[in-house]
Amino acid sequence: MPIFKIMFLTAVLAFGVVWLRIEVNRSGRTIGQLQNEVDIKEARNQYLKLEILRLSNPQRISQQAKEDFGLTPIHPTRVVVLDK
Amino acid sequence: MFKKKVASPVVFNIKSRMRIMGLLMLFIPLIIFIRLFYMQTFLHEAFASKAERAIYNYLSEDRLRGKILDVNGKTLAESVRTHSCGISKRYVKDKNKTVDFLAKILGLPKKQILEKWNKHSPFFFVAKKIKPDVYIQMEEMLHTSLGQGLELTPEYERIHPYGDSALDILGTANSKNFGLSGIEQMFNKELSQDISKKRAKHARRGAVIYDRKLKEERSVGNVYLTIDAVAQYYTETALQKAVEEVGAEHGVALVQEPKTGRILAAASYPAKDGQSLAFQFTYEPGSTFKTIAIASALDAGTVRVTDSIDMDGRKWEVIKGFTVRDNQHKKDYLSVPEIMQLSSNIGAGKIALDLGAKNLYFYIKAFGFGSKTDINFNGESKGSVLPYNKWTKVDTVTKGYGYGVAVTPIQLINAYSAIANGGVLMQPHLIDRIEYANGKVEKYAKPIKIRNVFKHPQSAATITKVLQSVVENGSGKRAQITGYNVAGKTGTAEKLSKEGGYGKRSHVVSFCGFVPATDPQFTVLVILDNPAKYTFGGTAAAPVFKEIAQPLLARKGVKPDQLDFE
Repeated sequence: MPIFKIMFLTAVLAFGVVWLRIEVNRSGRTIGQLQNEVDIKEARNQYLKLEILRLSNPQRISQQAKEDFGLTPIHPTRVVVLDK
Repeated sequence: MFKKKVASPVVFNIKSRMRIMGLLMLFIPLIIFIRLFYMQTFLHEAFASKAERAIYNYLSEDRLRGKILDVNGKTLAESVRTHSCGISKRYVKDKNKTVDFLAKILGLPKKQILEKWNKHSPFFFVAKKIKPDVYIQMEEMLHTSLGQGLELTPEYERIHPYGDSALDILGTANSKNFGLSGIEQMFNKELSQDISKKRAKHARRGAVIYDRKLKEERSVGNVYLTIDAVAQYYTETALQKAVEEVGAEHGVALVQEPKTGRILAAASYPAKDGQSLAFQFTYEPGSTFKTIAIASALDAGTVRVTDSIDMDGRKWEVIKGFTVRDNQHKKDYLSVPEIMQLSSNIGAGKIALDLGAKNLYFYIKAFGFGSKTDINFNGESKGSVLPYNKWTKVDTVTKGYGYGVAVTPIQLINAYSAIANGGVLMQPHLIDRIEYANGKVEKYAKPIKIRNVFKHPQSAATITKVLQSVVENGSGKRAQITGYNVAGKTGTAEKLSKEGGYGKRSHVVSFCGFVPATDPQFTVLVILDNPAKYTFGGTAAAPVFKEIAQPLLARKGVKPDQLDFE
């Protein structure tokens, strides 16, 4: 009788190992997909940040200030520094 | 009758035979056991790695590259992850459908894809630098029959949000995120990190099953320059305009903080990736070098600022066959400030001769000429200053007005900054700091005093006054900025022609100065190399100084140092 008990326990253990292995694989697959999504979203986010930087380019701002609003650079003697 | 059988030493009864058989049968598993024991104990590593290689793959993670930023943290160069799309033709199920799909999603003409299809085999790239939005749509298609044969490979694009600004300093990095020139190359190690690897099993259709992280990423660094992106913009814009106006071959403009040695802007026009003329260009400076010779003589005491120098009828025969002429004035005697204001070669030559070759050489070296500034830029030139024992009388004279020496823009601006800084030569800096992802900060731009170039502390103030007079009454009038005292010197130097000797056709015009003269905040150098029409430092380069310095003064909120400027 003990031999059957040992065989049964071994079978249960083997089943558990297989089940764990499958779960690890399933999680790994999910991590892979999530990782990919994160990468894409990070890349999109980065592009948006860069777009902001492009828009804040001094060349673009000064051109726009000059053409659209007729602004000219201020003479340094007219700058009043309130706090330094 | 019968012979008695002699008993055999070995009794072959059933029991014995079973024992022998048992031992024989045990022997084979024993051999196997020993072999297994040997393999598992002594050959363990070899077999384990063999098994691991068979099952797992090591996938490279993002090869991130650090950013290059200006002193205020504005990004000048950053890597973004893109993809390239390739086709393995033999795996494509329906050529027409795949080509249609690619043409639509990538916005490419179908004809163009088909041309590549017919030319290349068995694999070719359809498009590179695919942006994330397009990649998402393509990635979904990879899992359908339409996506079979398509391969999306990650790569990196180095983005410069401010366009070509400071590109000559920044340099370039390739799609594998490897620095090729400029700061990108010089700080490649700090900007790069080891490829982070993850263990993964390959699944169907290129999908991966992550196992566990194997290798930690090395901390990547962000390189902060001393460059101010806005100052760089002012400098580049003014320089480009000037180069185009006079039709010069090249232009260089530098802005430095005299008290710290930090370079705020370094522009070359036309700009080439990683080739900054500010550090690599060498030239004979001409009259801007008179400042060095005269400042040295004033400090050595061989001339006083009130002395008058005989102009020898504006035709000074130094030795037989070598005459220095002054055609720009009609005076018989000039004071030291007048020599500078009128840019008299005779005056500067005579002062240099009085100072003597040995003294002049040591002052030139003390100002940092003839050796690299160690600013950490690839290909920096050290210029050329021959030892004084190789100088002739003529060499000493010509050095007084900036011929017979080769200098770099960074050396000249640093020398002027030393005068602006009360005679203290500072170490110039281009790199401010490197900040690593783990929080470690390496500071590069600490103010480092190299030496005091003058023996007498008042020498710097004296030459500054002289330089101020050049801008107030002399050749540098166009550098004047209302409300501010500007100190500077113009330069117009003829270049050596290919045929030998100096030709009027080819010349370099320049202006170097600092503002406000009473408490210098900015030293600015402008050089225009070989303008198409003959022009002078005072007419072509001095206005560029003003154009660069004026907005910088406004930006920094520098108080005017003139009282009655309204």
